[in-house]
Amino acid sequence: MFLRLVADSFSRRPRHKLLTGAALALGMAVATAAISVSLDVGDRLAREFRSLGANLVVTAQADSLPLEIGGVDYRPVNAGAYLPESDLGKLKTIFWRNNIVGFAPALEVPVEAWTKPSQTSSTPAIAERTTLMGTWANHSVSIPDGKTYVTGIEKTNPWWQVDGRWFKDGAEECVVGKSFAARTGAKIGSALNVNASGANLSLVVTGILSGGGAEDDSIVAPLTMAQKMAGKTGEYRRLYVSALTKPEDEFGRRDPTTLAQADYDRWYCTPYISSIALQIRQVLPGADVRVIRRVADGEGAILTRVRTLLWLVTLASLLAAALAVGASSAASVIERRTEIGLMKALGAGSGTVGFLLAAEQLLLALLGGGLGYSLGILLARLVGQKIFGAAPEFSFLVLSVIIGLAAVVTLLGSAIPLRRASRYEPAPILRGE
Amino acid sequence: MPDRKMFWRIIRRIFASNRARLLVILLALGAGATVTAALLNLQIDAKRRLTTEFRAFGPNVIVSPREQISSPNGATLSETLAQELGQVATVPGERPVSGVALLYVIAEVSVDRSAKFVPVVVAGRRVMHAIDRVTGASAPQNDQQCSAGSKVAEQLRLRAGEKLVLRDAGAQATCQILAITSSGGTEDNQVSVDLGMSQHLAGLPGRISLIQLRVEGTPAVIDKYVASAAQRFPQAEVRPIRQFTEGEAKIYDRISGILSATVVLVLVLTALCVMAAMTNVAMERRNDVGLMKAIGGATRRVLRLFLAEAALLGLTGGVLGAAIGILLSMWLGKAVFGIAARPRLIVYPVTVALTIIVAIAGAYPLRRLANIRPASVFRGEA
Repeated sequence: MFLRLVADSFSRRPRHKLLTGAALALGMAVATAAISVSLDVGDRLAREFRSLGANLVVTAQADSLPLEIGGVDYRPVNAGAYLPESDLGKLKTIFWRNNIVGFAPALEVPVEAWTKPSQTSSTPAIAERTTLMGTWANHSVSIPDGKTYVTGIEKTNPWWQVDGRWFKDGAEECVVGKSFAARTGAKIGSALNVNASGANLSLVVTGILSGGGAEDDSIVAPLTMAQKMAGKTGEYRRLYVSALTKPEDEFGRRDPTTLAQADYDRWYCTPYISSIALQIRQVLPGADVRVIRRVADGEGAILTRVRTLLWLVTLASLLAAALAVGASSAASVIERRTEIGLMKALGAGSGTVGFLLAAEQLLLALLGGGLGYSLGILLARLVGQKIFGAAPEFSFLVLSVIIGLAAVVTLLGSAIPLRRASRYEPAPILRGE
Repeated sequence: MPDRKMFWRIIRRIFASNRARLLVILLALGAGATVTAALLNLQIDAKRRLTTEFRAFGPNVIVSPREQISSPNGATLSETLAQELGQVATVPGERPVSGVALLYVIAEVSVDRSAKFVPVVVAGRRVMHAIDRVTGASAPQNDQQCSAGSKVAEQLRLRAGEKLVLRDAGAQATCQILAITSSGGTEDNQVSVDLGMSQHLAGLPGRISLIQLRVEGTPAVIDKYVASAAQRFPQAEVRPIRQFTEGEAKIYDRISGILSATVVLVLVLTALCVMAAMTNVAMERRNDVGLMKAIGGATRRVLRLFLAEAALLGLTGGVLGAAIGILLSMWLGKAVFGIAARPRLIVYPVTVALTIIVAIAGAYPLRRLANIRPASVFRGEA
């Protein structure tokens, strides 16, 4: 009998049910879309922040103090300590290896460079003092577990733009900074003579680099070339690492050496920048890993803010959806006064009537919530695709939250009119008063 | 005009007769208006606020001498340039430009107690305008104080509070270490002193090596500033630090995109929800319409009556909801950015207008009531 009443109510007034269901579905679609986007946005934005480049820098612990002004190191070539290039594959073996977006070693050598005088020009080329930076571009590193990983300077310095192409790894090629190119007249395809304390090389220019910093005045060449110039085979001086991190919170800022074992494990297994730095230190012996505070702190602050902002927006939209849905389910109960009066006149108790209506609303919530969820997921995909070029992932959690929310909201929305309905006197309602 | 009097009387009666229903519609409309106002206000504010948040990234424009620097202090600029740079107008009403003027010297440094001197880069810095934490280094305030980068401190085994002796080309100075700073950048390898001290050491009074500027605003504002500064000071090279300007631009676009998308999404769907709620209410008006028609009400007049009701409800819901929403957004702004969002007056009328439109649109299905045949309503046929 109970089921028949419910089924009857749906089939007798399909239009009313449809409208309430539609309001519910739309409200829940807002909620779904907002929650999905909010859940997803942190990770996406963290990735976006990697366009700021490296957030960790590794140098040798035993290195002497760099005398660097405006990107030029005024130390004698042989001063300072170096790190072995062969260890770098180990970076992809640390606990948070998948969070390492890219890394690139650097070895800077002060050099004199000049372009070969062209056939037509009679003016002799003047040697220009500059810095040759050896690094990786699209270098494949072999990782101890047998795989290879491709990385390079364009991952750690994504704002560097090369007109032409990057040099090939290990080839006698280079890219030159745009100011350097303007001064020396070096063009793509021209040969560049580089000289540093006895070592001599001729490199083919494959591209013009513009980065807006000291690199605009220097030469960037494969690491092996710089090692040859400096006489430091298989070594580098500085390593840039770009890693996806979690903004440091109160816990993340605590000194790991003072943590209890359980806390230490939690700290170690959270991608805080400091724990990633520690893990890198563990695989690179003799290395000093420093957080580039400027990048890391700015990122942390903004990420935290934006995340809070989006959660609050989500909350606001949830609230609005809940109110709108509640209002429409309240309206659907109010309009059924006559029916309630009749049921009570026929001997139904207030409890039975309330139960019946609640069951109807719940059924509606289930249907509307499910429909709203699929609609919301579509919307979230649309938004995600449009802004980040990647759709948020399906999450079962969101579905259950949405269905639960739909049920609670419809029940709450109908609770007040239902309570009033249970107090109705059947006689005046049936008389039409 | 008995006609008009009757019209308003009916409206009054409609509102007085069914309080519960009225409350439901008002709640739906009010909630919609609240969210609309809060989001609109917050969105305008958050976008502005974001550019302020980027301050954490430090300087984004570098001003250096145009000539090539081939030795540590080869080319320098006049100190007065720093003050003039602050006067280059960006967009009226935008926040001012702040910055630090620097002079680098490679000096020999020694701790008081030992006679061993080690070459270290000494950065003399002077804050030009009200500036924030440009490099994270606490800038020394007077001649007698300095701060040491963490690597310098490690190398020389320095502690805060110790005295440092600096000498270069005959000039000598001493200072007390105020703090050891760590930034992960080149500042870690430097000793920070007051600009005057480094000028004294280098024998270059009134000269600076470069200026680090923080220009606030959207990427377009920064570009404009760089262009006009470069034009005004031909002796200097003004260039944006691409790492930060480009990164900031990208992030700004993404965040403002996601905010706009969320806001539009929420607004459209809120409107649809409110409309669905309104429609539900409109459907149960069959009896009223049937009665009015039966006693001779023209369809147009009946419709006008209900539209007026909807508009009035929209107005009330909008006025109340928008006010609550603006208050809400101020609170939200405080929660997120630590500063209450400034209420924008434009948001208020826009929200009220939107709510009225949604309310009237929600009453749209009433048009179908024109087809109602009074007789069938009275017979109780659904």
